[in-house]
Amino acid sequence: MKPLAVTGLGICSSLGIGREAFLRGMNAPPASTVSAKITSFDATAYPQARIAEVVDFDPTRYLGDKGLRTLDRLTKLLIVAARLALHDAGFKRDNAWVRSSGEQVGLICSNAYGSLEAITELDRVATLEDARYINPAKFPNTVSNSAAGYVSIWEELRAINVSVSDGNCGGLDAVACGEIFLETGRAEALLIGGAEAMSEALYLAFSRLGALDAQTPIGEGAALLVTEVAERVAARGDRSMGELVGYGTAFVAPIHVGPLLHASQTAMERAIADALADAEVKAADIDIVASGVSGLDAFDDAELAAIAKVIGEGVCVAAPKALLGETLGACGAMGLAAGLAWLDGAPPTPIVRGALRTPSRAVRTVLVTTMGFYGNASAVVLRAGTN
Amino acid sequence: MQQSPRVFITGVGVVSSLGLGKDEFFRALGEGRSGISVVEAFDASGLGRELAGEVKGFRARDHLSAAEARRTGRCSAMALAAARMATADAGLGGDALRGPRTAVVVGTTMGEAGILEDLDQAWISRGPTGVKRALIAKYGSTLLPIHIARAIGAEGMVLTLPAACAAGNYAIGFAADLIRRGRADVVVTGAAEIIQELQFSGFVRLAAMAPQRCQPFDLNRQGLILGEGAGLVVLESEAHAMRRDARLIAEVGGYGLSCDAYHITRPHPDAAGSIAAMRAAIERSGLTPNDIDFVNAHGTGTKHNDAAETKVMHDVFGARRVPISSMKGMLGHCMGASSALEAIGCMMTIETGIYPPTIGYETPDPECDVDVVANVARRGASNVVVNNSLAFGGYNCVTLFAKPGVLPPPRIIGRAA
Repeated sequence: MKPLAVTGLGICSSLGIGREAFLRGMNAPPASTVSAKITSFDATAYPQARIAEVVDFDPTRYLGDKGLRTLDRLTKLLIVAARLALHDAGFKRDNAWVRSSGEQVGLICSNAYGSLEAITELDRVATLEDARYINPAKFPNTVSNSAAGYVSIWEELRAINVSVSDGNCGGLDAVACGEIFLETGRAEALLIGGAEAMSEALYLAFSRLGALDAQTPIGEGAALLVTEVAERVAARGDRSMGELVGYGTAFVAPIHVGPLLHASQTAMERAIADALADAEVKAADIDIVASGVSGLDAFDDAELAAIAKVIGEGVCVAAPKALLGETLGACGAMGLAAGLAWLDGAPPTPIVRGALRTPSRAVRTVLVTTMGFYGNASAVVLRAGTN
Repeated sequence: MQQSPRVFITGVGVVSSLGLGKDEFFRALGEGRSGISVVEAFDASGLGRELAGEVKGFRARDHLSAAEARRTGRCSAMALAAARMATADAGLGGDALRGPRTAVVVGTTMGEAGILEDLDQAWISRGPTGVKRALIAKYGSTLLPIHIARAIGAEGMVLTLPAACAAGNYAIGFAADLIRRGRADVVVTGAAEIIQELQFSGFVRLAAMAPQRCQPFDLNRQGLILGEGAGLVVLESEAHAMRRDARLIAEVGGYGLSCDAYHITRPHPDAAGSIAAMRAAIERSGLTPNDIDFVNAHGTGTKHNDAAETKVMHDVFGARRVPISSMKGMLGHCMGASSALEAIGCMMTIETGIYPPTIGYETPDPECDVDVVANVARRGASNVVVNNSLAFGGYNCVTLFAKPGVLPPPRIIGRAA
C-alpha cells in the first residue's frame, strides 16, 4: 500500500491520557495497570475483578462540563481521544481549526460491542419500570455508531465517518479502510483507530465466557492515529511518528462444523504474509511484533506459531495487552500506539518471545497483529517515518 | 497506478416483509403492496404504536443447517439466508467462492440486538449466573459476516459496517472499493436488521413513529414505521465475472460519503452533507446530474428527512424533475438493512424500467416539491439509478447503479478525485 504517515496520536489508555502521558508510561511502565478501584461501574459484586481502566478519566478536563450529561463512557473516551489527536497533529489549537478544515478530515473507528452501558441501562428501565419511560436523550447511545457520530458533532468532522466492527481485528481493518479513503481523495486526513468502554455488562460477559486471564486484565480505551498520505506530509517537510505501510487480513473457518470460537493459525499466517507483501518488506526486516497475546492459550499459541512460521522463531514478540489490557475493538489501535512508542525509542515491554536484535532506539519496523475470536486475523506493518 | 476494475452486481438475495427472494420482492414492489402489519415479536400494545414491516414466516431452518440455526440469532440468520439466495442467484453456490479472494462486508445498525435483549432479561431476572455462555457467544455485530463467510468458504476480509440507516449503502460502496483496490475479486455484501422491543420503544420515545402509515413526501406525513429484513448482493470484478460468463445485473458506480456533524438523530436542515454525498456519487461515476434517470429516496416519512431530501433534489438536479420514490411505505424503515434492500429494489428498476411507487401519497407538500412516483409504479428510463441514504449520527451515503455498458471507465485508484 502507499504509505500513510501518522502525524498525531490521541489516546485514552491505562497508561495515561494523551501522547506524552502514554509515551511516559511506555518508557517506564508501572508494575501493574490494573485499576486499584474500579470507577467505570459499581464493582462491589465483583471483588476479584481485574480491569485496566483508563487512568484518571475526567472528560470535563478536555471537553468542559456542558453537554456531557447524556453521553456514555464510550462516547466520552472517543471524543477526548479525537480532540487530543487533532491537537497533537496540529489541525486544531484551543479547539479551533488552524490547518485544513472539518470538510477535509474524517474518522474511521473500530468498536466491537457498542455501548453495552447504555443498552443495559435502558433494558432495565423497560423491564423493571416501563418501556415508555426510557430516556429519549439516552436512546441514541444504544446505536452502534453513536459514539463516532458524536465525535463528528463535537469535533466538526464532515469528510467521512465510517464505523467498523471486526472484533479484535477491527482496529487494524480500519487502516485498510483508511488507505482506500485517503487514496481515493475522500479526505486530507483521517483519524483511524478504535475504542471500547468498560461496563458491568462487558465484564460480566467475558467473566461468564471464562475469557478473563490471570495475567492480562480486560481493559478499555480509545486510540486514534491521525493519518495522511505520506507523500504529502513529506512534501510539506513535516515529520511523522511513523508510517503505516502494509495490511493483511484473513478468515479461516474450522474444518469441522464446530463452535463459533476458533483460533486460526492459518488465518494469522496469511494475514502476516499479506501484510509483508503489501508493505514490500521481508520477514527479516521486522524488528519486533506487537502481538495480540492476551493469556488465552489457544489464541496465543496459534498467533505465536504463525509469527514464528512466517517471521521466524527468533523474532522479538511483545504483548502490549499486558499493560494496556484486552481492549477488544480498540486493541488493534492500541497495538499501533505501542508500535509508535517503540519507534520513538520506548523499550518493548513485556517481551514474551525472542529478544530485540538491536537497541530499542534502533527499532525501525514493527508488525502489529490481532487475532479475532472466530477464525479472523489481521496484521499491519508500521515503520519509522522517512523524514 | 493501475486501471481500476469495473464492479458488477451479479446476484441478489432478499428477506423482507414483502417476501423472501427477489421474485416475490420485485413483484410486491411493482404492485405497490404493503408489508406493514401488527408486530408479533413482542407485545407492543402498550406503546401506542404497534405496526411494523415485520418479516413473517421466516424460518431459519428453511435456509440454514441445524448447526447454523443453533449458532445464529435472527439477524444473522436472515443475513445468511439472503446471502445464500444471492450466491445462488449469481450461480456461485457450493464451493465456488471458497478462498482468500472472497470477502464479506455487512452493514447493520444494531446487529443481534435481540440476543442482547435476551441476555439482559436473563441477567435482570436471574442474576449474573443466569447469563448463559452459549447465548453470549451469539452476540455481536461482528458475527454477521462471520456466519456468511463460514457458510460460503470466504477467507478474505470479514467486516461489519455499523452505519445505522445508511449501513447497506456503506457496505455496498466499500465492498466495491475493496475490489477496485484489488483486495478481493468477489464480495458478498449488503445489510441486515431486526425489529426488537428496545429500539421500537426508543423510536416511539423519539416521537418519530407514524401511528398508521408511513407516507413519504406527503403533506400529512406523521413519521416512520419500522421494518426489518436482509438484503445481500454479490459484487464481482469484471474479470471474475467475465471468466465465468456471469449475468451482469448492474454496474456499481461511484458512491458518495459525508457526515453532517450536526445532530445525532436529525439531518442537517440545509442538507449540505446529503447534497455533497449525492454530488460525489455522480461525479465519482464519471457522470453528470443529467445522466440520472431515477432516485430511490431515503424517504422515511418524517418531516425533517423528506424536506432535507427535497433540498438535495433541487440542489443537485435544479429545474429538472427527476422521478423519486420511497419504498418505506411498503417495507417500513428497515434501518441498517433499508438501503441494501432498496439497492436491490434499484436492480428491479434497472432490469425492468419499473419505478417502485411511494404508497400512501395523497396530498402534495409544498416543502417536498418533487416528482414523486405516487401510489402506482411508473415505467421510465432506467440506465442510471441513484440510491440515497441518510443515517443516525449524521452519516450520509449515496450509491449509484447503472445498466452494464452505460458507465464510463472507472477512475484510476491512487489518484485523488
